[in-house]
Amino acid sequence: MISMKFTEILKRNRELSLKPAGNEYAIGLISNITISQLKEVLELTLREGGINADVVVGDYDAIVQDSSRFSESHAVLVFWEAVNLVEDLHGKAYLMPSEDLDALAERVVSEMDFVLRNLKSTPLVLINRFSSALFYADPLREGPLSNLCKRLNEALESKVASNQIIVDLDAVLAKVSLGASVDFRQFQSSKALYSFEFFKAYAEAVKPAFMAVTGRAKKVLALDCDNTLWGGIVGEDTYSDIQMSDATLKGNVFREVQTILRGLRKEGVLLALCSKNNPSDVDKVLSEHPDMVLKEDDLVAKRVNWQDKATNLRELATELNLGLDSFVFLDDSAFEVGLIQKELPQVKCVQVPQNLSEYPALMRELRREFLTLSKTAEDQRKTEMYRQDQRRKDQASQFKSIDEYLASLGLKLTIFWGTQIPVSRAAQMTQKTNQFNLTTRRYTEADIQRMLIDPAYTLGVFSVADRYGDYGVTGMIIIRQDKDSPGSAVIDSFLMSCRVIGRNVEYAFFDEVVHTLRAGGINNLRGEYLATDKNNQVERFYDKFGFELTFDTDKGREYKICLQNYKPQYIQYIETHQPNH
Amino acid sequence: MNEIKQKILAVMAAVFEMDVADIPENSAPGVVEKWDSLKHMSLVMALEEEFNIRFPDEMIEQLINIELIELSIKELVG
Repeated sequence: MISMKFTEILKRNRELSLKPAGNEYAIGLISNITISQLKEVLELTLREGGINADVVVGDYDAIVQDSSRFSESHAVLVFWEAVNLVEDLHGKAYLMPSEDLDALAERVVSEMDFVLRNLKSTPLVLINRFSSALFYADPLREGPLSNLCKRLNEALESKVASNQIIVDLDAVLAKVSLGASVDFRQFQSSKALYSFEFFKAYAEAVKPAFMAVTGRAKKVLALDCDNTLWGGIVGEDTYSDIQMSDATLKGNVFREVQTILRGLRKEGVLLALCSKNNPSDVDKVLSEHPDMVLKEDDLVAKRVNWQDKATNLRELATELNLGLDSFVFLDDSAFEVGLIQKELPQVKCVQVPQNLSEYPALMRELRREFLTLSKTAEDQRKTEMYRQDQRRKDQASQFKSIDEYLASLGLKLTIFWGTQIPVSRAAQMTQKTNQFNLTTRRYTEADIQRMLIDPAYTLGVFSVADRYGDYGVTGMIIIRQDKDSPGSAVIDSFLMSCRVIGRNVEYAFFDEVVHTLRAGGINNLRGEYLATDKNNQVERFYDKFGFELTFDTDKGREYKICLQNYKPQYIQYIETHQPNH
Repeated sequence: MNEIKQKILAVMAAVFEMDVADIPENSAPGVVEKWDSLKHMSLVMALEEEFNIRFPDEMIEQLINIELIELSIKELVG
């Protein structure tokens, strides 16, 4: 959480806004109470995460109207305060006959319907749960206001789409404490209710959703071993003396931490080891120690050796094909944490707390860093898929040429078109893929749904398998036909997960795409490359197929081709299927 | 200029997005263009944080020029 004073936040924002940063991320803040200070706090909180946020505060008590006005923003935050649904509702609710309360609930639910429909294509919508906590906190009985909130929250939960995230306001209030969250002095005069402390905690609470939707969420947790996964030092203490069971107080903590880590793994977080030990000592603990909760299978990669940890983290990033900015590093040593902070500032570093009792809570808190907005079957299997990849790489070293190796894999490419595609996975890929991504356009599930019913769009995804296993759905293309020029189309998006880079599946896929387009009457195709910090490996992707470069700046490149000049790549060793095509 | 007044001017400069030198001596809502009811709330919040004080209800609406702000703060920190 940012620890600055309000005036410091204002000054810092002013400095930052004077710099020409570009890539502004527009957020509409719509509310029925006065929360104007949240603008500054949220802007700075997100800017610290690398998002150049520009928050526009909507009109007072104009949620319905503003939901149309801001629907084209990158994100909208809906701050709907239950007590101000009607002036003085917290008092009036006791006086209102139940049919009036029913009518109020119905009115708000229909407004909610309208608002959520207006915001169904906005990439990210955050909407608070209704809460009565600031005005009614009687643990022994429900009041009319808390009853109303309950009804509204049930409706809210049944109506939100996948791009619309419910924010548990009570959880933020609990964190700050009710007393410190509220400031009633300007409630009657200005309908302002919340303290500066609350706004800081709120901005911090919603930050991970913005990080996730812009592809900035963390993906890998790199772990030290001694006094991080278990108590004691393997190799120095006797094997049976390392602690991670309920036999000792300390051991309890490490067992709990390992259990939390294993839960993270199930949610799709990649766990890796980065420790200074003899590899055989650690392997022995992993494979034999009866108290280990984490198993070899839970780890996606290991760097257990005596070289410096910055080198090890760099190697892990290369091995996993992921940027170091998607890494979190956990270690008990202040020296190692300090080294990584200095050498690799893009890695988030976490040190095991001195008081071990605080350690599990810290790990639970860390979970927020790895938020993914769409849950897919791929998440749970992610570690397994990376591990299969390791076995392939071991094989690769035995072959004389890369083609010989690729041919030995028995690669199978399955292409799905249009309504066959898994919509949530498709949206997730546009949100998470950074490296092999020609245009890096982020789409929500609603966007994908809309394209699927628009005849101008052609959507294709592919999945890849080989004799070691299934990579799942890992690539995608979106093509849009020109409305005013029949036979012409543009490639809106073309991306592929880093898991399948280096197998030439993109060439086999693209051959099929072009074949399909030609069969559908497309003769002229355009492609774009939009440069980001991460995608320069695809800068010249279209050159290979005979595309002609029509525009070239440091921001990107544009290409066109008449498809009779297309140069197919004919990847012989990839078997392609197109079910029901 | 005393230290309290300097701090007040620094807070006002941050809240109203101007330089300290440009803050008029007769500053008030209406004189300073950005001093509206929303910015007034921010001003109160920022002053309280800067001086580690809490204005009682009736004082909040009186904080409408530099002199009154200074007097109120002196009363609270005094």
